[in-house]
Amino acid sequence: MSAVENQIVYENVSKFYGEVLGVNRVTLSVPPGITGLVGPNGSGKTTLMNLTAGLLHPTRGSISVLGATPEHPEDMFRLVGYATQYDAFPPGLTGFQFIESFLRVHGYGRVEAEELAWKAIERVNLVDAAGRKVAGYSKGMRQRIKLAQAIAHRPSVLILDEPLNGLDPMARAEVIALFRELAGGGLHVLVSSHILHEVDLISDQVVLIHGGYVVAEGDIGGVRDEMEEQHPAQVLIRCDKPSLLASRVFLHDHVVEARVHDDGKGLLVRTRDADQFYLLLNQVVVDTGLVVETVMPTDADVNAVYEYLIGANGGKS
Amino acid sequence: MNDIVTPSVSVTPTARQLPWAHMASQIRAVMRLELRKSFLGRRSIGTIVLALSPVVIAVIRLFHPNLAANEIEEATGFFSLLFQIYALRLVLVLTCLAIFGDMIRREVLDRTLHYYFLTPIRRELLVVAKYLTGVVVSVPLFVVSTLAAFTIAYMPHEGVQGFLFNGPGLGHLGSYLLVTVLACIGYGSVFLLFGSFFRSPAIPALAVMGWESIHFLLPPLLKKFSVIHYLQSLCPVPMSEGPFAILSDAPSPWLSIPGLLLLSGALVAISAWRIRGMEVSYEEE
Repeated sequence: MSAVENQIVYENVSKFYGEVLGVNRVTLSVPPGITGLVGPNGSGKTTLMNLTAGLLHPTRGSISVLGATPEHPEDMFRLVGYATQYDAFPPGLTGFQFIESFLRVHGYGRVEAEELAWKAIERVNLVDAAGRKVAGYSKGMRQRIKLAQAIAHRPSVLILDEPLNGLDPMARAEVIALFRELAGGGLHVLVSSHILHEVDLISDQVVLIHGGYVVAEGDIGGVRDEMEEQHPAQVLIRCDKPSLLASRVFLHDHVVEARVHDDGKGLLVRTRDADQFYLLLNQVVVDTGLVVETVMPTDADVNAVYEYLIGANGGKS
Repeated sequence: MNDIVTPSVSVTPTARQLPWAHMASQIRAVMRLELRKSFLGRRSIGTIVLALSPVVIAVIRLFHPNLAANEIEEATGFFSLLFQIYALRLVLVLTCLAIFGDMIRREVLDRTLHYYFLTPIRRELLVVAKYLTGVVVSVPLFVVSTLAAFTIAYMPHEGVQGFLFNGPGLGHLGSYLLVTVLACIGYGSVFLLFGSFFRSPAIPALAVMGWESIHFLLPPLLKKFSVIHYLQSLCPVPMSEGPFAILSDAPSPWLSIPGLLLLSGALVAISAWRIRGMEVSYEEE
């Protein structure tokens, strides 16, 4: 299998709605695993997902999903499952009928469609509600039946637009576990969210999008490392002698700041080379017998990266 | 969570079916789904009542005090007017608008069209399947309506058996049913097209109704661009169109029938072309 056949590839993709920019000059390759698409509302996440699924056509550029394109839906939509953000369902159908009916449109026979529908429903824990009309479902149940519909035909690429909206904490945990399980099986799972810590929890890699532009991509650690020159990494070390630690680390060029925590039981260090700092910390512990309780990066998550790149308020002044 | 499905690329249906068989099964699946969600629920009650309203009118006539039971020509005249003026020009057009005009448009308003667009069915095939669903719903509905109204119109008159089996009765009935079927096919394709192109298919549909209703005033060349011109020529009893009507030669059945079928096919093809390039962006609606 070539690289293109195992990736979602965007080549210089732009989408304009008349004069309004949707996304601009997106060039990306999305490998298997969970990819988080992160950005504030209106940043272009849904546009990018709809382009990926062929619901929108790019104004410029091209997209291929594991080598398939939306011009050939009979190939493409066997590979792709998409749970959109639209909270709407065909009228009058039960949860089971909803999934089974569209599996029949895929071309599955009755027995096979029923079997796949039940498996998908079991997977999202909706067996008890499967015989009820979808119109009577709660928001969380509707999210789960959409997810079941997206996975029922066993796609290789799963696109999920804000899939955790409306789920209670228990259902959230279950659905996140399901994403991990699916990604572990080699699926491409593309998840969008405007809740950064949520994406941070579940994603193998992230795509940060703002104002229609991709501003960063890759695994979040890698993205953070590339920013160390402009935004030194922050590490909080909880230990018994923070002043001693401060005096030892200050001698090194890559440490730009060392500040004892307000409670006197920790040291906040800013460094341009986190790897060097961790080696240094080990040396200090060996040399001085420093007792370290915890070492915690405080700005290595997607939230901090997003804030550095775009600003705390999403780039809005 | 139950560990039931191992995510993988499954053996696809096409791998086991011939392309034509696969496409036929997809069309059947769309038709089954359309029937289930659009025509077997409360939404369809209004459509059914409207389609059967000519029967109600025929029943009301039974109670007319001056009904002359011995004059079968009166029944022929009554049914001709009921069918050509009310059933064909008004009821059938409005019902076909409700059925076919909503096939794409309703899905956009309900924000459910993307479910179809995300399945591995060619969009052209989806349009054909939706059109066939409309035909499958409208044809039986109007055949039953026409048959029932015809029966009730002639029922109280003496000599009905002779009129039907030794006279022109069965021929008349056959012609009316043929016109009914062609009208469903023809108007259905027109309104499917409107539903594919316009935010509100009712507006162009009203224009079509206006055009069809003044067709007797149109010069012969323009009459050819009217569906009713061909349908009316197939009706067994000519209808007076008043002193201002511009007369023209009625087209032959050999032109009317294949012409209407070809026109319908062309309109469905244009709808399919439109849907093939369609984007799903409900926010703009």
